[in-house]
Amino acid sequence: MKIIETRGLTKVYGSNGNAVHALRGIDLTVERGEFAALIGPSGSGKSTLMAILGCLDVPTGGTYTLDGRQIERLSGADLAAIRNEKVGFVFQQYNLLPKATILRNVELPMLYAGVPRRERRQRALELLEKVGIPDKANTLPGALSGGQRQRVAIARALANRPALLLADEPTGALDSKTGQEVLALFRELHAQGNTVLLVTHDPTIAAMAGRRVELYDGLLVQERQEQAA
Amino acid sequence: MNTTGAFRERLREAWIELRENPGRSFLQALGVMLGVASVLGGFSISDSQRRQTERIFARVGGIDKLNVFPTDVVYQGTPSALQSANRGLRLEDALEGGQVPSAKAVNATSVLRQARARVRSEFADQERDVNGIGADYAAMNGYEIEYGRDFSSHDFASGAPVAVLGSEAASVFFPTGDIVGKPLRIGDVPVTVIGVFRDKNFRFREGQRNIFAWRNRIVAVPSGLVAARMEGDNYHRLDRVTFRIPDLKAAADFSKELSGLVTANHRLQQDYRLDDVAKRLERQMSQGDVYNIIFMLSGVLALIGGGMVNVNVQLASLKERVREVGVKMAIGAPGREIFKSFMTEAILLTLLGSAAGYVIGIAFSWVITKSIGIPLSLAPLSFLWATLMAAVFGFLFALYPAAKASRQSPMEALRYE
Repeated sequence: MKIIETRGLTKVYGSNGNAVHALRGIDLTVERGEFAALIGPSGSGKSTLMAILGCLDVPTGGTYTLDGRQIERLSGADLAAIRNEKVGFVFQQYNLLPKATILRNVELPMLYAGVPRRERRQRALELLEKVGIPDKANTLPGALSGGQRQRVAIARALANRPALLLADEPTGALDSKTGQEVLALFRELHAQGNTVLLVTHDPTIAAMAGRRVELYDGLLVQERQEQAA
Repeated sequence: MNTTGAFRERLREAWIELRENPGRSFLQALGVMLGVASVLGGFSISDSQRRQTERIFARVGGIDKLNVFPTDVVYQGTPSALQSANRGLRLEDALEGGQVPSAKAVNATSVLRQARARVRSEFADQERDVNGIGADYAAMNGYEIEYGRDFSSHDFASGAPVAVLGSEAASVFFPTGDIVGKPLRIGDVPVTVIGVFRDKNFRFREGQRNIFAWRNRIVAVPSGLVAARMEGDNYHRLDRVTFRIPDLKAAADFSKELSGLVTANHRLQQDYRLDDVAKRLERQMSQGDVYNIIFMLSGVLALIGGGMVNVNVQLASLKERVREVGVKMAIGAPGREIFKSFMTEAILLTLLGSAAGYVIGIAFSWVITKSIGIPLSLAPLSFLWATLMAAVFGFLFALYPAAKASRQSPMEALRYE
């Protein structure tokens, strides 16, 4: 079953005179349970595609279907609901709320989904255990190392059992050893049946993914199916 | 989830948010608190002062009295027969004045005829002012009988040789305390003391002198006695006629009519003077204006102070907040949820801030009024204003950042620097 399906996806910033064509017709399909890496140099449109696939932004043209839902015409509130329900984000800079406890950071997506308090707490604790930091629930993000913070971000992304786990340079701010650990966690999550789309500019990281999608100048230039390393 | 449950949840979330950001929350509540405290304080202090002024006015004489005084007439050359036949301000003027159509607004009339005379008892012998008074004089000037009796209407009508003494006069002339029924000689006239007025005592502030001490020196007899027996004046001339008219507007009408009557009675001679009611009305109005200006000024200052605190807090935390909002939106918070949470926080802060503001405002005005020695009076209106102010601060100032935050796209918010 297809999780992501785009047809002729385009994104144009600015107006006629100085328009920038960030995406120029992307046809991309990602099946459930895939581990795909989206690579490309900076300025290739990676981030734009990532934002559209994550429902943070809407395309200028083309169609996008996420887990059976048509996305391209949805309003802000509906997009928010889709992000909440179907997408789990992991950012390069973690994007945790610095003043909220780890537990609360993980609970937050469930709060917006209307999950009762007790259930929220229980699931958040389970998730923290799953990503390997069960004893940090009541500390603030500032007290954690980069790798630990990224684990919290991953736990948060998993909170509402999303159809798609989107990671934007998740190891970009980590040293290579910690980065490897975080990547191992992603692979483990993939092994458990999650669909993962990882954005990176590092070919060695991309090599770990089952599938590599390469973007250049707003177009998909190469799609290579490889055996998972 | 039902609505009350959702609201309680939101309130709990807002409380958590406030606790997570104590500095920001405190500063925001500080804006509300300053506004409420200064409005409440300003209003209470000026209100207390005004109450005190009103009290003093009421005690000292009030503004509801219209006085008529006789004046000297300056003649150029030899006075005409008409002029020299004029007899001045008389009891008749007072009695007729009480019967003109607009006099229905008059609720008391007092007359006064003063004389200087030697007053002698078996204990003392002094030169004193003697007040020849009419029916409502004692009541209008706040005298009450402490013991003995007041003048009867018969005493007034006949100019009976009876006297009532103020507390100081009583203690001077009858130091033994045995007063009622004792003889007293005023000039050549023997009178009987029938009563004593209660001690009058009023101080602007505690510990200051009694500004009514002179009133306790009164030696009062019927005005007819002074005129007829002491001065041999058959026309019952007066030194002052006072009408009490609670309604200041009616007083203006009455003043006009009275002036016409007295002028006619006095054969068109301007030998009397009437209080200027119009001017008094104007003065009272302008006094009200002064208070209103004080209120407004304190309110505006409070607004500026509180508003500056608020704006600064918002500016200082803008970057932090925008990123927070971006993160929340990215993980699925819809714009209206962001808006509601902002507003809930604002309401909570407004409640907390205004509660603190009430306490500080009351404490502040209590200290000030205590230090200048006037009783504190808290007007319900000042609470209303303060609450209104708090609502303005808490709500309107929160509305803008809330609306702004909830409308931005998550991408912009996440990238905000």
